[in-house]
Amino acid sequence: MKGNEVEFIGKITAGVTHEVNNVLASIREISGLLTDILSITDEKSFAKKEKFQTSLEKIQNQVQRGVKLTNQLNKFSHLTDNNKADVDLNELVDHLIFLTERFARIKNVTLQNQLSKDSLVIKTDPLQLEMALFNCILYLLNKTTNGGEISICPKKKGNEYSLSINCKYELTDTSTIFKDSSSSEELLSLSSIMEKLNGVYEFDETNAAIIIKISGKN
Amino acid sequence: MDSINVLIVDDEEELALTIAERLEIRGIKTQTVSDGDLALNSVRTHNPDVVVLDVMMPGIGGLGILKQIKSLDPKIPVILLTGYGSKERSIEGMNLGAFDYVLKPCNLDDLITKIQEAVKSK
Repeated sequence: MKGNEVEFIGKITAGVTHEVNNVLASIREISGLLTDILSITDEKSFAKKEKFQTSLEKIQNQVQRGVKLTNQLNKFSHLTDNNKADVDLNELVDHLIFLTERFARIKNVTLQNQLSKDSLVIKTDPLQLEMALFNCILYLLNKTTNGGEISICPKKKGNEYSLSINCKYELTDTSTIFKDSSSSEELLSLSSIMEKLNGVYEFDETNAAIIIKISGKN
Repeated sequence: MDSINVLIVDDEEELALTIAERLEIRGIKTQTVSDGDLALNSVRTHNPDVVVLDVMMPGIGGLGILKQIKSLDPKIPVILLTGYGSKERSIEGMNLGAFDYVLKPCNLDDLITKIQEAVKSK
């Protein structure tokens, strides 16, 4: 996709998430107002008071869920702002896991972030890096029939930063996970992304992992 | 608390009116307006204790309105309402003299605490 097309999608998404946030803010305040009114309403005069209170709480919880989603989507839309930015790998993994949890849930797979205790900040293209990770996750998800865990572990060794995307599947033989990998669309995309990032990827067949490596001198 | 007078400036009128109603229930007097000109007019005529101002406003934008309010009355505290994606603009607003900012959708208790702090700061 061309740069201006990515920029277009980013700007439209940022604008729409802003509007959705305003809708959620209004729902939150209106349900809050109803809660305020209920709190000063006598139970004798309103038999369904408790049912209304619990329903309003449910609305507030769903609003919170919606706010979290729109905030993360807004953050995602701003990945297109710069080709190079200071990227905190721990934060980026957290963000991507949040956005891709649904893809994993469909396959009963849980996504785990094995956060590094160190601050891992690298100057790179955040959009391309999230796309690289996303392709790894999709590749590994396609290899499971049902259930398991994918964990992502960011690390730094010297000037090299790496992200290890590792899977543990109980019902799938992980020793065959990289069989026929050369025809995988996800890995073809990953190759082209890693070229743009001046990085490489490799398989760790023993641990059923894909390892992305990027130089800190980018 | 009933002596506090708050001006809410937001083009999302439904939202502004509902926040106002909730503040009124808690004894805070409010006025709501939906654009910059009306906001300046209200600052001139009603002399509010605090202004709660949305950052993403049409026209000159929330920060433009903030500058105009500050040139009219440098001492009036302004609390910015901001979305997750416009946090940087709020930080810019703090450099322009805003008292503080709150994220939308805001927690009403947090907003009230900031309003009270703003009044004390005058």
